[in-house]
Amino acid sequence: MENSVIKFDKVSKSYYLSRFKYGRLTEEIRAWFKKVVTLSPESNSKQKLWAVRNLSFQVKKGVTLGIIGKNGAGKSTILKLISKVTYPDSGQIRVEGEIGAFIELGAGLHPELTGRENIYLYGAILGMKRREIDERFPEIVKFSELARFLDTPIKRYSSGMYTRLGFSVIAFTDPQVLLIDEVLAVGDKSFQEKCLMKMEEFAKSDKTVVFVSHNLEAIRSICSETILIDHGRLKARGKSSEVIKKYLNKYSKNSKF
Amino acid sequence: MIDNFKEFFRFRELLFVLTKREIKVRYKQTSLGASWAIIQPFSMMLIFTLIFGFFLKVDSGNIPYPIFSYSALLPWTFFATSFSLGSLSIINSSNLITKIYFPREILPFSNLGAAFLDFLVAGVFFFLLMLFYKVPLSFTLLFLVPIVLVQVIFTAAVILFASAIVVIWRDVKFVIPLLIQLWMFATPVIYPVSKVPRFLQFIYFLDPMAGIIENFRSVSILGKFPDWRHLLMATVISAILFFLSYMFFKQKEKRFADII
Repeated sequence: MENSVIKFDKVSKSYYLSRFKYGRLTEEIRAWFKKVVTLSPESNSKQKLWAVRNLSFQVKKGVTLGIIGKNGAGKSTILKLISKVTYPDSGQIRVEGEIGAFIELGAGLHPELTGRENIYLYGAILGMKRREIDERFPEIVKFSELARFLDTPIKRYSSGMYTRLGFSVIAFTDPQVLLIDEVLAVGDKSFQEKCLMKMEEFAKSDKTVVFVSHNLEAIRSICSETILIDHGRLKARGKSSEVIKKYLNKYSKNSKF
Repeated sequence: MIDNFKEFFRFRELLFVLTKREIKVRYKQTSLGASWAIIQPFSMMLIFTLIFGFFLKVDSGNIPYPIFSYSALLPWTFFATSFSLGSLSIINSSNLITKIYFPREILPFSNLGAAFLDFLVAGVFFFLLMLFYKVPLSFTLLFLVPIVLVQVIFTAAVILFASAIVVIWRDVKFVIPLLIQLWMFATPVIYPVSKVPRFLQFIYFLDPMAGIIENFRSVSILGKFPDWRHLLMATVISAILFFLSYMFFKQKEKRFADII
């Protein structure tokens, strides 16, 4: 295999748009009876939504890839597929190296625990060893600017403080592949800038970064390459500025209707 | 299977951290903290002693009824707590499941770990109770180690299966408390095994919890050797069930994030 760290090969992923979010036993039994009695194949009453359709792409080591597209285009699903949170219906996905996924802020933080306890909890969830967290603890705290609130349960934190704590932990993890989904949407201006700087640092290192954002400016400045996703399909791939131009053209054309 | 174990081993530290979280969160939200671990089996012991020991005069041999029932309530409470919390462990962590990857069995296992701590705390109380009732301490107490180990394996099997089923069919969540209640009567918590009709005993001991509780009691307060046949049966059944439900869990795990 060549030096691609992430490889998608004809990957498809669908979701059911069923009436209920999750199964109800009685419904399943009824459906099963119907199947047995009428001997018909499974009904198609459940509507399928293709979140990712026949998608193939590769990311080489050290590349910072941006993913852009409209809401619901399948960007987050791609990150979830990379990180093995969810699995494809068909196709192959190969990822080499440890993955650090920063998919949503606050996932994994526990409101009842203090800032200090949460740093350890979140670090462990992200795959850090206790010793590693010990070593980086002062840096994490300094980056988060939350030294004063370390022993406060984070249910008393503001949403901005939540974000800062979460990002600070991930900023000091050391995965080979880093997935980032829309982190810059929260936090004040100065913290956003700090995050951006940290991400540029990642981008310049030999880490492989996949960055999903609606912040086109951030994508342009950080990502060397960008792909455009629409309805789960790959629409364009290339230098960030060109792909962004294509996206903007398409978007403004659409908005005329 | 081996890959699964390797992956689990890679995340072993997360298991400790989540177990610790489980314990910390529980104790932070309650003012009585660790004493809850004792209050539950202790209050059951009181009520059972009143009803079954005093009103109904269940024959507990030459053992005082309170310690007779506590010696079974101790492992039973460990099982019931793990089961009721563990079966909800996946759906209660939906925010983790949909966003971050890790071997999902860590969640039910961390509930098992937290319940084990409660079990140890309640176990200290058991020891004090034995001293109080002047139950002779026998070396057969050492057999508690393998017995508890079998129980852990069986409990793990049950909660792996239950936690996956609850994700698929939420209704099951409401069945579990009822099931736990009924299950207790199917194990020798209130009555001695000798009360079970002979022709039923084979079916009775197909349930590993029956063999586990019987042996827990006899090695701890009766100073007897384990009933090897029942213990072996519980061990084999637990091991097979663990294997099956682990496979089941790993297969269903892939869809957790989609259907949760």
